[in-house]
Order: sequence, then structure tokens, then C-alpha cells
Amino acid sequence: MSRVRYVAFRSVQTVVLLFLILTFLFFFFRMLPGSYADLMAFQGANEATVEAMQEKWGLNDPLYVQYFRYVTNLLTGDAGSSLQFRIPVWDFVKMKIFNSLLLVGPAITVGYIFGTLIGGFLGNRRGSKEEKYGLIPLILTGSFPSFVTAIMFIIVFAGWLNLVPTSGMFGFSNPYNSSEFAWWRPYLTKDFAIHYALPFLTIVARYTYLPALVMRTNVVEVLGQDFFYYHRMTGLPGEQQLKRLMNHAILPVVTLYPISMTRAIGGLVVIEMVFNWPGIGYALVQAVFARDFPVVQFVFFLVATFVVVGNFAVDILYGYIDPRVSVDNN
Amino acid sequence: MVKNNLSLMDNRFANNYVVRNVVGSLRLMLEDKATMVYFSYLVFVLFLGAFGPMLAPYPYDETLYVNGEILRSAPPSLAHPLGTNNIGQDIFSRLLYGARPTMITGLLGGSMIISIGMTVGVTAGYVGGRVDNTLMRITDVVYGVPLIPFAIVLVSLFGIGFVQSIVVIGLLLWRGNARVLRSQVLQIRERPFILASKAAGASRTRIVFKHVLPNIAPMAVLFFSLGIGFSILIQATLAFLGVTSPFIPSWGVMVRSAYNSGLMSQAWWWSLPPGLMIAFTVLATFMFGRSYENIAGQGNEEAFVQAG
Repeated sequence: MSRVRYVAFRSVQTVVLLFLILTFLFFFFRMLPGSYADLMAFQGANEATVEAMQEKWGLNDPLYVQYFRYVTNLLTGDAGSSLQFRIPVWDFVKMKIFNSLLLVGPAITVGYIFGTLIGGFLGNRRGSKEEKYGLIPLILTGSFPSFVTAIMFIIVFAGWLNLVPTSGMFGFSNPYNSSEFAWWRPYLTKDFAIHYALPFLTIVARYTYLPALVMRTNVVEVLGQDFFYYHRMTGLPGEQQLKRLMNHAILPVVTLYPISMTRAIGGLVVIEMVFNWPGIGYALVQAVFARDFPVVQFVFFLVATFVVVGNFAVDILYGYIDPRVSVDNN
Repeated sequence: MVKNNLSLMDNRFANNYVVRNVVGSLRLMLEDKATMVYFSYLVFVLFLGAFGPMLAPYPYDETLYVNGEILRSAPPSLAHPLGTNNIGQDIFSRLLYGARPTMITGLLGGSMIISIGMTVGVTAGYVGGRVDNTLMRITDVVYGVPLIPFAIVLVSLFGIGFVQSIVVIGLLLWRGNARVLRSQVLQIRERPFILASKAAGASRTRIVFKHVLPNIAPMAVLFFSLGIGFSILIQATLAFLGVTSPFIPSWGVMVRSAYNSGLMSQAWWWSLPPGLMIAFTVLATFMFGRSYENIAGQGNEEAFVQAG
């Protein structure tokens, strides 16, 4: 199979998979007991109102009609409306997704860069004291539940040292946090930076461990391989050796990166809750509790898309960064 | 003394390879001093789980009064080694009581994870073919779901409660075990002794139970240990998010009530100890798993990557 055909094949596969996930999510959430209408009735809405709402939202139509309507609407970019807030789902989630990505993206990237460097360094010194004890602080921060790390940071940096605020994204004093200014303006302030510091650190602390661990093992493995012995024998300069070493050892770390990214998005709920960060994770939990299925369904679909497309991208990229991998035996 | 006991067990189960392999690798692991520390800590928490409520100086839900007033958010003192919370309950006692739900979570969740994971992994790996394909695609799907949000959805499906939150964890976290154990079984089934036993006319069931299981048993113990850690971790997270019964005083629930009271950063004696107990318990199970790698020299990174 040529590479072009492989990419085409995988693209089709990805699209089909996404469609299956969408279908699964749609029917899964319809199967769950409890609906928004039940919740309204529970909160004291009378039966006629609930019935009228059900009719208006088209929830009384047969399931396949609803499904067909949902899919066709989604294809035109309309994900429906949030039942809680009566605004289009996309308007409801877009800034929240942005806030979450703003937190996760840089934090995971920094964690991976640090982790890779530390792991490479430790692996290079196999058998030394640093190698033996160097991973321990990382294991500590990596296996602490993120809310415990977060609480510790809050107690130390916000409580005792009083350096940063305990929660939120902007302070009340942020002069740009109003509709007079462009949406991005309040993000470019010191106020935002100090609110950003603790959640950022929490995620970095959590996600440095895995790349460091994997990188250390890889480096040790590559150092033992024949081709590397050859490079050492020929007297290749140190930096050149390091470059060849890294080229090989970094590959598994690259595959892990999107996995960590998606896992962090799932686990972000807790960090967002502790720090009161207006992100998508916490909004998702609230939506689940409120049985706001259009929002829940859309966010789950987005996350699944992220996972699937991330895997797809890694599979495709892998052929470029590691020429040994060929698509032929696939 | 310990050695004697173990060798006694060896004799009694002389024909049981599963027990022999597990006991053998445990004994090897405990020769390492650091591993002994993690192991002792886990035994200590188990001990707390069993006897903690008897050791507690106060009932966990008793509101304490001093001179007719509720003792709210008192800092640590001799009478209350870890102070009190905002409704006047002794935190040290609550901490001791909290060990039991946490250990139940770990053991129940861990056993669910390993039993589902091992069944799927061994079946997929040994039977192969279409069965393997189907089971692994299911595993892929379970991998694709974001863990915490989906756990919350499932808990709201089953109804919010303590046992429900554990069952949901078991239903989601087996995925990593299944993948790694499958790849182990794929290697084991190509070994000569399997072929020999096939040639001797052994049935599939006999081969699986007599030859495959004993060979993955040490790894299963590692996964059980990791599973305990992950169950405690995820259950505490769910408790912190409020998706478990608030009336069972687990450590996660304690952290949540500290968070909800708004006193999290002032009353550190309230929010930190349960958080640290969770963290150290999880850490001990993880480190215990790591020391397995040191003797077996395999599986570790993959296990850690896949287990979450």
C-alpha cells in the first residue's frame, strides 16, 4: 500500500469511526433514565408546561427522526441548544473550551519537554546515584491525585505566602473584563497570569512523570543497541551522539503526547473545580447533573474526535519521524 | 519466621503453580528494603481499615462542644490531634474511620478491574481470531471515553452511591489490564511447553488454567496492586466531585467537605491529612508495582501507561 493510499484509507476509517461514536453517544444518552423534562417537573413545573416543552423541542418524535435531525443539523454546524441556558451549544461551550485548552495545552507541553529532558538525562547516567533517586520526586508529584496537589499549592502559595489568588480566572479589579473590550484583551494582563500560575503548575506536576519514565527507559535501551555502539566506536562527537540517541529514544514519548493530552482533558474536571476555572470539564459535569444532553453529547463527541484524530495524526506522522515504520505490513 | 510460613505454604500448595509463582515473586520483592516500606504502609492502612474505628477517640459524626459552644474549626491540640472541622467533628477520628471505605474501595475496585481485565485479556490472547478482534475493539472504545466525565454519567445512571461509584470504576478501568495481559498471553502461547501440552492432547481449558494463568499470575498481582491504587484515586476524585454517598466518611468525602466549607486554605489540618493519606496509599501501591519491574525487568512502563 502506498503512503497516499494508506492516508486515504485511514481518513475514511477515521470518519466512519467518528460517525459510529456519534451514533453511539446519541442513543446512549437517550437510554439513560431521567431527562431534562423530569428535572423540570421535579422542580415544580406543571405537566402541561413540560409537555409543551417536550413538543417544542421535538422530544416526542420517534427516536430515529430525532437522530436524523440531529445528524443533519450537526453537519450544517448546528449542535442544538443547551436545555439549561437556552442558547446554542456552540455559543455555550466555545469560550469554555478555549479556557480549558489554554490551560491544558501549554501545561502538558511544558510537562513533556521537562519530562523528556529529565528522563534523557537520567537514562544517560544509568547506574549512578542521580539515576537511582532522580525519579522519586517525579513519581511523588505524578501519582498524587491532582486535587491533593492543587490543595497543597493553594495552602502554600495562596494561603501562607499570599502570592497568588486562590481561584478564578480574572480578579474583580481586572479593568478589561467587560464587553467594551475585545474578548482576548483580559487574557493579556498580569491579573490573568497570577490566576493562571497555580492550575498550570498543578498540571505540569502531574504530567512530567510519564514522559520522564518512558524516556529514561528508552535512552537506556538505545544506549545498549548495536548501532549506538558503532557510533561510539567511530568516535562521533558528543552532540552528534546525543542527537542520534534522542532521535531514537523520543519516539514512544511522541505517541504518548496526545494520549496524555486527552487524559488531561478528562481529568481537568477536578482541577477546574478546585481553582474555579471556567473551563469545559466543570461545565460538562454540571451539564450531566442537569441532564442537559445536547451539551453533554456535543462535548463527549468533541473529546472523542480529539482522541481519534490525535491517534490518526500520530499514525500518519509516525511514518515521517520514524522511517523504519512502513505502511506496507499494515 | 516469615520464611518458614511461606515455605509451609509452598509445601501445602506444592502442586499449585499459581500460588507458587505469586508467593515466590512476592518473597523476592520483599527482600528489597524500600519495597518492604511500601508493603508495610499498605499493611498499616489495611490495619487501620479493620481496626481504625475502634481506635478513634470520638465517634466520627459526633459534634463536640466546649463550654456549651460547638468547637468549630479548632486548630490541632492535644485533645484533638488534627483539630476539628466546621461542624465540630474530630478530624483525627474521621481520618481513622475513613480508612475502611478507602480500603473497601481499593480491594473491591482492584478485584473487579483484574477479574474483568484478565478474563478479556486471556480470552482475547489465547483464543485469538474473531474473538480477539471483537474484544480488542471493545477495549479500544472503552479507551476512547474520557474517564472521569464518563464515570459521572454512569454513576448518575446507576444512582449516586458509594458502591455504585466503585462498580463504575471497575467497569471502566479494566481496559489497560486487558491490553497488556493479552500481549503477554500472545507471547506465552507460542512457547514450546504449550505446544507440548497441546501435543499431549490437553484441552484448551486445561492449558489456560494449568499453563497460561500461572505464567501471568505475578503480573496479575502487579495489576491488582495498581488497580487498588487507581480505584482509590478515581473514587476519591469522584467523591471530591460529589458523585458518591456523602454519608460514608471516606477520605475523599472529607476533602470535599473541606473544599465546600470554603476553609480549605485556612484549615489546612482539615483538608491536607485526608488528601495526603489518599496520595500516600496510591503512591504505595504504585511503588509496589514498580518494584515488580525491578525483579521481573519487564512490563512496567507499559503497565503504567496502559493502566490509567
